[in-house]
Amino acid sequence: MAKKPQRRSDPRGKQCPFCDKQVAYIDYKDYPAIKPFIDYFGNIMKRYYTGICLKHQKMLKNSTERARFMGMMAYRK
Amino acid sequence: MILLPILLQDLPTNLMPELTEDITEEDTRVYEFCFLYPCTLSQKEESEFLKEIEKIIEETGAKQVSKDLWGKRGLAYRIKGHDEGNYVVYHYEMKPRAIIDIDTPLRITPNVLRHIVVKPPKGYEVTNFSEGFVQWLKDRENAVDEKKKEKEEKLAKRVAEKAKRQVKRVAAKKEEEVAADKPKTDKKQISDELDKLISDDDLDL
Repeated sequence: MAKKPQRRSDPRGKQCPFCDKQVAYIDYKDYPAIKPFIDYFGNIMKRYYTGICLKHQKMLKNSTERARFMGMMAYRK
Repeated sequence: MILLPILLQDLPTNLMPELTEDITEEDTRVYEFCFLYPCTLSQKEESEFLKEIEKIIEETGAKQVSKDLWGKRGLAYRIKGHDEGNYVVYHYEMKPRAIIDIDTPLRITPNVLRHIVVKPPKGYEVTNFSEGFVQWLKDRENAVDEKKKEKEEKLAKRVAEKAKRQVKRVAAKKEEEVAADKPKTDKKQISDELDKLISDDDLDL
């Protein structure tokens, strides 16, 4: 029996949530804005799963690293 | 330990990267300072600590744009034995070169658990994120509470329905029993009456 291919939503169909709101800068102090893109273990989620564009992913990385340093966000759960 | 002072001497004094842009002496920029300090300080100590920081920054001729006290907030991980800390966010308009002179004294000052200096992008508006954070926490708690309530309500409904069903079942059983008992008694009565009737001698058939 051939295995059925797993069904996933097409990543190309996803829209960048930051681009929708026209975000120019992701602040490291804005915890609620960053939180949805951090997984249970405290890692930044892959672009493939969140649909964030490269520009905003880089901003997100910058702000999460700052937030981690200031003790607002965990490095690792 | 003996080697340490020699090593420190060898290191360059300016650890911050040199600015390569052409900046005149009169150019100013807005910089953001964020400090984390322990919440175990008394009010007097806290005000003294804030004054000390402000003094260090303002010695270079910086102008304060905004000051934002966040208050007590839980930390994501333990920093120097503290699980909770206070945050202050300052915005200062100052000369870019002055940052180099500020960074080292800030690192040395006691009670500074963490500090960060950020150059906000163009068109940045100063916003208070602490209020938003508190509101977000409340919303989250409310959402959790609502979920709990919903669960409890569902459970209560299920229990009530189960009880109702049981009551119905018991009632149905009783009725069945009654229904089953009734004809028996009837039969007995009928047979008794019949016996009586038959045993009667007055009957003329």
